[in-house]
Amino acid sequence: MPLFGKSQKSPAEVVKALKEAVNALERGDKKAEKAQEDVSKNLVLIKNMLYGTSDAEPQTDIIVAQLAQELYNSNLLLLLIQNLNRIDFEGKKDVAQVFNNILRRQIGTRSPTVEYICTKPEILFTLMSGYEHQEIALNCGTMLRECARYEALAKIMLYSEDFYNFFRYVEVSTFDIASDAFSTFKELLTRHKILCAEFLEMNYDKVFSHYQRLLNSENYVTRRQSLKLLGELLLDRHNFTVMTRYISNPDNLKLMMNMLKEKSRNIQFEAFHVFKVFVANPNKPKPILDILLRNQEKLVEFLTRFHTDRSEDEQFNDEKAYLIKQIKELKPITEH
Amino acid sequence: MDKSMTLSDECPLDEEELNSRIFGDLEPVTWSNDDDTDVNMFFHRVDSDQIIYQTKKKRCKMIGKYVMGDLLGEGAYGKVKEVLDSETLCRRAVKILKTRKLRRIPNGEQNVQREIQLLKILKHKNVISLVDVLFNEEKQKMYLVLEYCVGGLQDMLESTPKKKFPLWQAHGYFSQLIDGLEYLHSKGIVHKDIKPGNLLLALDGTLKISDFGVAEALDMFAKDDTCTTGQGSPAFQPPEIANGHETFAGFKVDIWSCGVTLYNITTGLYPFEGDNIYRLFENIGKGEYTIPSEIENPLRSLIEGMLQKEPEMRISLQQIRQHPWFGRKPARTLEFVPVPPLREDEFHSMTVLPYLMEYHYGEDPTASDNQSQYITEHQLNEERKLQEQQNALPGNDGRRGGAKRRWRRPISCISVKKFPTCKQS
Repeated sequence: MPLFGKSQKSPAEVVKALKEAVNALERGDKKAEKAQEDVSKNLVLIKNMLYGTSDAEPQTDIIVAQLAQELYNSNLLLLLIQNLNRIDFEGKKDVAQVFNNILRRQIGTRSPTVEYICTKPEILFTLMSGYEHQEIALNCGTMLRECARYEALAKIMLYSEDFYNFFRYVEVSTFDIASDAFSTFKELLTRHKILCAEFLEMNYDKVFSHYQRLLNSENYVTRRQSLKLLGELLLDRHNFTVMTRYISNPDNLKLMMNMLKEKSRNIQFEAFHVFKVFVANPNKPKPILDILLRNQEKLVEFLTRFHTDRSEDEQFNDEKAYLIKQIKELKPITEH
Repeated sequence: MDKSMTLSDECPLDEEELNSRIFGDLEPVTWSNDDDTDVNMFFHRVDSDQIIYQTKKKRCKMIGKYVMGDLLGEGAYGKVKEVLDSETLCRRAVKILKTRKLRRIPNGEQNVQREIQLLKILKHKNVISLVDVLFNEEKQKMYLVLEYCVGGLQDMLESTPKKKFPLWQAHGYFSQLIDGLEYLHSKGIVHKDIKPGNLLLALDGTLKISDFGVAEALDMFAKDDTCTTGQGSPAFQPPEIANGHETFAGFKVDIWSCGVTLYNITTGLYPFEGDNIYRLFENIGKGEYTIPSEIENPLRSLIEGMLQKEPEMRISLQQIRQHPWFGRKPARTLEFVPVPPLREDEFHSMTVLPYLMEYHYGEDPTASDNQSQYITEHQLNEERKLQEQQNALPGNDGRRGGAKRRWRRPISCISVKKFPTCKQS
């Protein structure tokens, strides 16, 4: 025990005190102000145990292990996230820091917190619904992205019904929240290649009918970002099956052809990178071929004049020349 | 030219003419005869204190907006030099390729074109990025401006006695390699030449996969990753290539080479060896190898998984990620292999600076006296001795203090010059 200053509280004591304080805060009785103070104070104590301070090292592994164990047993992580909107500004940031640190903890090759959250998926769903509340959205975002790094947790989120809420979150009017939600959304769809490919294959219709709405969004940023992500997804070799399916649908081709004509040059450019896949496909289904044939001349003329000022971009010019050649050489399938 | 000093005195004129034709483009060199009577003497002895090294002047040179620095390395394709982007002040490396030289290498031009094409599409923190491509029609040179890297894993391995990394360090590089490789495969690119020599390190220690000279981009609509050609480094090739199969799964080739790389950086050895390429391929083809007993599980099982003779049995990138050794970072030890210093500079400081100094301030005023420009071998040895003594002293970090700076380090670009006082007695 130190000679000077307050004696160190044990992890069990801090967790217990914090839990009581959060409960008091939740009840919102007269002592709310005192509860708020206690929550902040105990959060700082926990944070210092994990990260250390300018004049104290982080606690030993044993203390941290005890702390983690207490957090799991008391169900405090979920409680904190559920009451995040009631905690003050600094406290919210501390919750996110504590959460991310505990999540990264490893014992050998095991990640105990990941295993714990797998048994308590409400934690993930509560975090995802955090995007509904402006004041906690960004804090939840940092925690979610940390979770998304783990395949097991990403899988739970992807396969949950709540995942489809992201299609709404990425369009909210508050720009920073929408962007944050989009980066989480993108992380979930691209981080674990095999998992994502399987997910997209299995839920193709549902995901892409939602995705269509993003591509048609009123919001310019949403439209542009989602179009860019679509290009990335389709051109990733892991998503080969999804790509072939996507480029077989004439509606998708029509959408891209319309986007090629959008007012925004950036959107035109992104659309080009999706459109090229339809044309380059060596086995074009008849409906696709029909559309291209019907517009053969117009497309050649359009593409010849398309973004001619990008003379620096060799890759783009090569691709464009290739597309023009391909379209010129298109012939209807001869019936046998 | 001082006639008394030249050999041509006793030589017929036509020979002199001949010599001047042959050596016309060389620095003028004059020889002194210390024994005129000895006509049979073919080689003339020159005392070491009469050989003069002249420090090469740092003439500031620009290629486009890039200021040239010192040589970083040299490969079959040409030199690599450090440059500074004069607009963004970013340190870069430039690969200088001579078109004439390229034509002499089988598939040389083709490989470079492919490398440029591939690098242009790639953007990942563990893959070297191509910043710019410049041409000089007149000189028939091509300049590939790349991210600046301080060195490669191969040079680091060679700088250590055991030719291997401590496990924690190897783990760090390996996981970055897997990240980069997963990205390449997601873009449909098979690298085909993964080995420590092609894994470079940026200034902050980030690993960069480089050299896409023999890489192959799969067709976007290819159903699988079937490849037909392999031109990578023999010791890192898988059995299916060693056995001369006509087609093979490309991605599994990279997994195998990663396995050999992991084996190599953790043991300092190669799983397969051979006196010549035929023996080597014979051994690889059999697929039999041993892992030194010091390599314990789970690392052992990971290497075994990657070095499976049958491509179908070889583990995938996803399985590597899920492997226990991958998931657990070995405890950091005090052992650490640094990037070997470049020309005695362990800090890898920017080599463009002296050129800029020369350009803006002219000659270094402290180096204006004759002595600093002409150095004899004897003086050089004395200086080396002095320096060694200093380095041996404890607490000395090896850097020379201000007083010792009057000597520019004689770098590789020495030229033998006429010593003004070297007259015959």
